[in-house]
Amino acid sequence: MNTRERKIDKVLATFDAGRMNRRGFLKSLAALGVTTFVANAVSISPLGAVKAYAAIQGAEQRAWELAKVAAAKATRKTLTLLIPTGSIGNMKPYADKWKNELGITLEFIEEPDEVVHTKGMQEAVAKTGRYDVMMPTAMSYPDWIDSGVIYDLTEWVEKYDPELFNKEWGVVFPASHHAQLYNGRVAGLLNDGDQITLLCRSDHLTDPAKAKAFEDKFGYRLGVPKTWAEYHTLAKFMHDPAKGFYGSLEYRSPYYVKWMFMQRLVSKGRLYFDGEVNPTFNSDEGVAALEDMLAMNAYLHPDAFSFTWSSNYNAFGRGEGFMNIVWPSGFKYSKAPSTGPATTGKIAATVMPADKLKDGTLLYAGMFCWGYGYAVSKYSANPELAYAYSQWMTSPTISSDAIPYLGGYSDPYRVNHMLAPTQRLLDTYTPEYLKTLYDNMVNTVPDFCVPGGFEYQDALDKQVHACMTGAKKPKEALDDAARAFERITRRIGRDKVKKSWLALTRNLAEPIRKASGADKWS
Amino acid sequence: MMPRKLTPLQALLMGLALIVVLFPVFWIVMTAIKPPTDWNASPAIWVPSKPTLINFQTLFNPDAIREYGVGGVSQAATDAVIGSLLASVSATAISVVIGLFSAIGISRYGNGGKSTPLVILSGRMFPPAAIAVPFVIMFSTIGLIDSYPGLIAIYAAVTLPFSTWMLKSFVEDLPREIEEAAMIDGQSRMMAHLTVTIPLIKGGLFATTMFVFILNWSEFMFALVLSYSNVSTIPVQLAKYVTATAGTLYGVQAALAVLAMVPLVIVGYRIQSHLARGMTFGAIKQ
Repeated sequence: MNTRERKIDKVLATFDAGRMNRRGFLKSLAALGVTTFVANAVSISPLGAVKAYAAIQGAEQRAWELAKVAAAKATRKTLTLLIPTGSIGNMKPYADKWKNELGITLEFIEEPDEVVHTKGMQEAVAKTGRYDVMMPTAMSYPDWIDSGVIYDLTEWVEKYDPELFNKEWGVVFPASHHAQLYNGRVAGLLNDGDQITLLCRSDHLTDPAKAKAFEDKFGYRLGVPKTWAEYHTLAKFMHDPAKGFYGSLEYRSPYYVKWMFMQRLVSKGRLYFDGEVNPTFNSDEGVAALEDMLAMNAYLHPDAFSFTWSSNYNAFGRGEGFMNIVWPSGFKYSKAPSTGPATTGKIAATVMPADKLKDGTLLYAGMFCWGYGYAVSKYSANPELAYAYSQWMTSPTISSDAIPYLGGYSDPYRVNHMLAPTQRLLDTYTPEYLKTLYDNMVNTVPDFCVPGGFEYQDALDKQVHACMTGAKKPKEALDDAARAFERITRRIGRDKVKKSWLALTRNLAEPIRKASGADKWS
Repeated sequence: MMPRKLTPLQALLMGLALIVVLFPVFWIVMTAIKPPTDWNASPAIWVPSKPTLINFQTLFNPDAIREYGVGGVSQAATDAVIGSLLASVSATAISVVIGLFSAIGISRYGNGGKSTPLVILSGRMFPPAAIAVPFVIMFSTIGLIDSYPGLIAIYAAVTLPFSTWMLKSFVEDLPREIEEAAMIDGQSRMMAHLTVTIPLIKGGLFATTMFVFILNWSEFMFALVLSYSNVSTIPVQLAKYVTATAGTLYGVQAALAVLAMVPLVIVGYRIQSHLARGMTFGAIKQ
């Protein structure tokens, strides 16, 4: 136990013994480098400070203890991480600690994000052992586990407990399951809460002239849209191309456009497959989703067909649109004066709009798309050390500290990040947006986190894009995609995909399971 | 011969063609000197009002661009520039030397039989993507993955069909009587080729070298697939300029692209007379 830990223990014991008031306790812990979130939670816990501190810090401390043991045993004193370019900012601040306290050098191998999956599959055949920790998206886990390139982490998770499912500081359900598990086993530890939410320009929503004109015309108050119908109405109302101001900036570009479709599809209560992994997106709901998108094209930014995530964020930040569908990083762009000169302080964020089901109820569903996590390479010379790093970085405490660093992709994913945030998280995201993220995340549906996931996504993306450009009618495009899906499923094996799909859909928000019929699948 | 004067229509067409060809170069150079705020401004900024060298500085000092609020650039381009030079120069030299002697052997002595040129060319018949994974496995086994010898070997192998076939056509267009005359004068076959054949196809040799160098210099896929951290080249480095705080760093990418063009422009300019001759060599058969 080092001096700092001894001092913390002393403060905790003093507080438990009633010899220190709450203010003094918080102040003392802050001086010892304990985050506000931890200090607050500990101070009000019915367990008492000593026990509560051990519980919250547990994941971090257990990981650190394991790291110390594994580092001492390691013959190779370098831990190599395969990471997507642009993500290093969340990891680099801890490199000195690992070097100074454990003697482990963190080496980062950056690859373009679109080739990380391929690099992992390449390692499955090359078996170089060059990587210890790999940082793919959740969609890579099935193929990586099946190809034997990464460890099933379940046994380590059971032994060292990274607190994945804790109600107060675990990963938000259902992302806790669909972004970390493959066939019910832990394949990776999530470090990035990638979900899409809707941003609106609050300055236009509060403009009295616009508010009056809107209410007079549509009979309800101007505000963030609650349904897709309202979203469409608002886009049309705000669309002013003569002034270079467009209704919305949602994507129509290849690679991104599938998510706009998938989002609308799940809002209508449809998932991508049925319980027998037959494609279901070429249904009436799928066609309606594409027709919604075609109708929206008239109110989109002219660059919508060529947007990348960064050009989209920049256009919104320059004030070229009223709404945008973005990952949490898009909110950060809009909030920062440097990247959002026209939007800083003028953003109203909301969960993705709901759609009306046949029985008249509203279904709120979100998309958890992309979402990086840590996986441990099967060919690592120090797999326990690699696991320890993954657990340590994603622990409730360290992750709260890591996410706000600039120059990384990490966004909030644990309950405490959103509902009991640290000051730095609040400063980065604002309390309102963190609450929005939580409310949206509890209803998220994942990407194609099944074997062949990238192939399914590509097949769908091509057809949705063909429809958006007018090359194909909605039904024709979706039927073509469904045929491509059948071919992929046959090649991979229906039983294999089915097993994974059923495991995935077992852990979704109940209204979505019910609406899609997944609650009856077995 | 008096230079032929262009008609106004020809001059106009030539001018339009030049604009089309040079526009991407103009755009890259302009982007390279734009500050981050101008990279993807809307409407587009053609010529920056405040040109800057910050993008070039960032190539060698990743933190330089932080003054514009852009963080997250973690790698300097130094290794990539050195790596590209090392791999391209070495592989080009190997490819051209082997290709030259193969070309002489095939053209002058029919070495390997009639099918040899086709067999050599067959190496180009496979899409690179189809042979990349087998190479990953082979190179991993023999310890050549993520190493410059490995990358140089594959670059040389992939460009060898080009160098052999290009040089073969130059050698074939050279009357063999000239070499025979040198041999009658007492030179060995090897000396005759070294002192007569090679100097006489110098233009073709420069053109081939330049062509092969460009192929190696701009190669992306093998460099991406066969590298981990020890090997780095410019095309792969270009794909890595993405950050969470600013997205794609178009200005830095453009700066590296400008830098990548420099050796080609210099070498091309210095050997342009040989190039023109090389490109037209054999156009009129003897």
